[in-house]
Amino acid sequence: MQNVVFPNKILPYLLVAPQIILTVIFFFWPASQALYQSAMREDPFGLRSTFVGFANFTAIFNDPNYLHSLQVTVVFSVATAVLAMGTALLLATAADLVVRGRGFYRTFMIIPYAVAPAVAGMLWLFMFNPAMGTFAYLLRRNGVMWDPLLDGNQAMLLVVVAAAWKQISYNFLFFVAGLQAIPKSLLEAASIDGARGSRRFWTIIFPLLAPTTFFLLVVNTVYAFFDTFGIIHAVTGGGPAKATETLVYKVYNDGFVNLNLGSSAAQSVVLMVIVIGLTAFQFRFVEKKVHYG
Amino acid sequence: MAEIELNDVRKVYAGNIEAIKGVSLHIADGEMIVLVGPSGCGKSTLLRMIAGLESISSGEISIGGRVVNQLEPSQRDIAMVFQNYALYPHMTVRQNLAYGLKNRNTPKDEIDRRITEAAKALEIEQYLERKPRQLSGGQRQRVAMGRAIVRKPAAFLFDEPLSNLDAKLRVQMRVEIRRLQRSLATTSVYVTHDQMEAMTLADRLVVLNGGKIEQVGTPIELYERPASTFVATFIGSPSMNLLKRKAVEGSGWALATSSGIAASVDTVGIRPEDIVIANENAPADFTGEVKVDAVELVGAESYVHASLADGSPIVFRVPGRSQIGFGETIRIAAAQPNIHMFDVTGKRLD
Repeated sequence: MQNVVFPNKILPYLLVAPQIILTVIFFFWPASQALYQSAMREDPFGLRSTFVGFANFTAIFNDPNYLHSLQVTVVFSVATAVLAMGTALLLATAADLVVRGRGFYRTFMIIPYAVAPAVAGMLWLFMFNPAMGTFAYLLRRNGVMWDPLLDGNQAMLLVVVAAAWKQISYNFLFFVAGLQAIPKSLLEAASIDGARGSRRFWTIIFPLLAPTTFFLLVVNTVYAFFDTFGIIHAVTGGGPAKATETLVYKVYNDGFVNLNLGSSAAQSVVLMVIVIGLTAFQFRFVEKKVHYG
Repeated sequence: MAEIELNDVRKVYAGNIEAIKGVSLHIADGEMIVLVGPSGCGKSTLLRMIAGLESISSGEISIGGRVVNQLEPSQRDIAMVFQNYALYPHMTVRQNLAYGLKNRNTPKDEIDRRITEAAKALEIEQYLERKPRQLSGGQRQRVAMGRAIVRKPAAFLFDEPLSNLDAKLRVQMRVEIRRLQRSLATTSVYVTHDQMEAMTLADRLVVLNGGKIEQVGTPIELYERPASTFVATFIGSPSMNLLKRKAVEGSGWALATSSGIAASVDTVGIRPEDIVIANENAPADFTGEVKVDAVELVGAESYVHASLADGSPIVFRVPGRSQIGFGETIRIAAAQPNIHMFDVTGKRLD
């Protein structure tokens, strides 16, 4: 790094000010509030709060509801990441084979990414709502007892599909770019070496996509952990019987619905630790180990 | 071990662009054929058609007596060495070498035996457990060769394999490729735009121009009897002087031995190395005066750039350090057998 000397003493600070202000207001301030409140307990009427140390943390880790939510989150995240990435990879390899209208297909594949999570949730809710959904009607007519409002597994399936659907576009973009970055001569060498179809995919293409795949794995996990609040809120509201209540949804539910601020703050601190861990994992491990030059 | 036969092979791209305009060629078993030509002449396309990486629009290609037009690259029993090596970056050198054999369900001990053998021949034994990125350009090139050798294919195809190496390494690898090809006696097709590489490697050279074969022959044949002005200027460095008939006659040059230059001759060609400074001992079949414009010393010899009376440039070689000064007018000469005659279309006349 080179030391840069600016002739103007004030202008540089003015230029970085908007970013600094945004970060302070929307990250450092709430984060510090969460840290502070995670060590406090509010009285039932919200008049007084007392310092309780790590009591909130011991409470949540001994709470079967919290552990259940953790389990729901793991199932939800793994399923969403696997579904979103698998589908995107399938579509990207298929798009690679398209000769005519390639640009058209790619553009249309990207559109779902522009849809807001809550809107995407509503879209899937309307399609699969047991009372009025078109697909729900079709399913039931074909003998499937479809009712995500009562069946927890079906509710989970619905939010996973909705969350994955939105993320497919993003993954698709990266996989297409990753596929294009594979030198053509490598694939030609492979075809001369007698590798075709699925063997060529698993022995040459997939290993060469590994950097992209690992990057997307982290991004998708973070997405499933945090950005899917809107979808869950719109589709199931965490139900039925907490079957789709992920950690993020539980933070919202406990804090803003049940007004248990101390517990909610402690939960968000745990989430903060998780996301910091994931990011560190990506930078330390993924960027260095899974790279070919 | 196989012959390769090309029968009126054509390649037409979308929009009716003809890249290969009817090429017929017989490559004998164990022969090293070099396809040479300027960029865009279709040499790589032709090689890729033999490999099966490009489809054949019309005509027929057979390898070892088997028509391969409809066969996959892997079924053609060929191995290819790419310009950028195309090694699999996620595999070790050993895995790279084994990959093609594994895909063909070769027994494990046979794979190990062949890898040991090839690694020894190419002196890459100590790199077998490394990844390609840990190797230098020359070592990667050897691995790429090894990948071709272990397969023991009917034919090797080389697509400008040395153009990514530096000049010194290129000469070294050139010798090595020649030695390997000789000892394995595997039919080979080698593409290059470097005429030095072409001359030194080839059993026979194929000069391509605009998707058509310009001339086929041994390097010496092409050098001594170029079939056209294109081949004449392409083979040899510095390239052959081509003088228009008008320029020659207008500058007071004369062909001493016969009754002048035949009427059908349009262009007279003389190689720089076939011209000498005229004196009593020099053969003076073709002689005339030129004015010296520049002298280039390249080491053991010098190249003199001069011009005829009408301004047409001519280059010739003088041994050692030249004493010729700029602006000097000197008389130069060439012997009859070294004078090449071409007609209006650039075809050789005899």
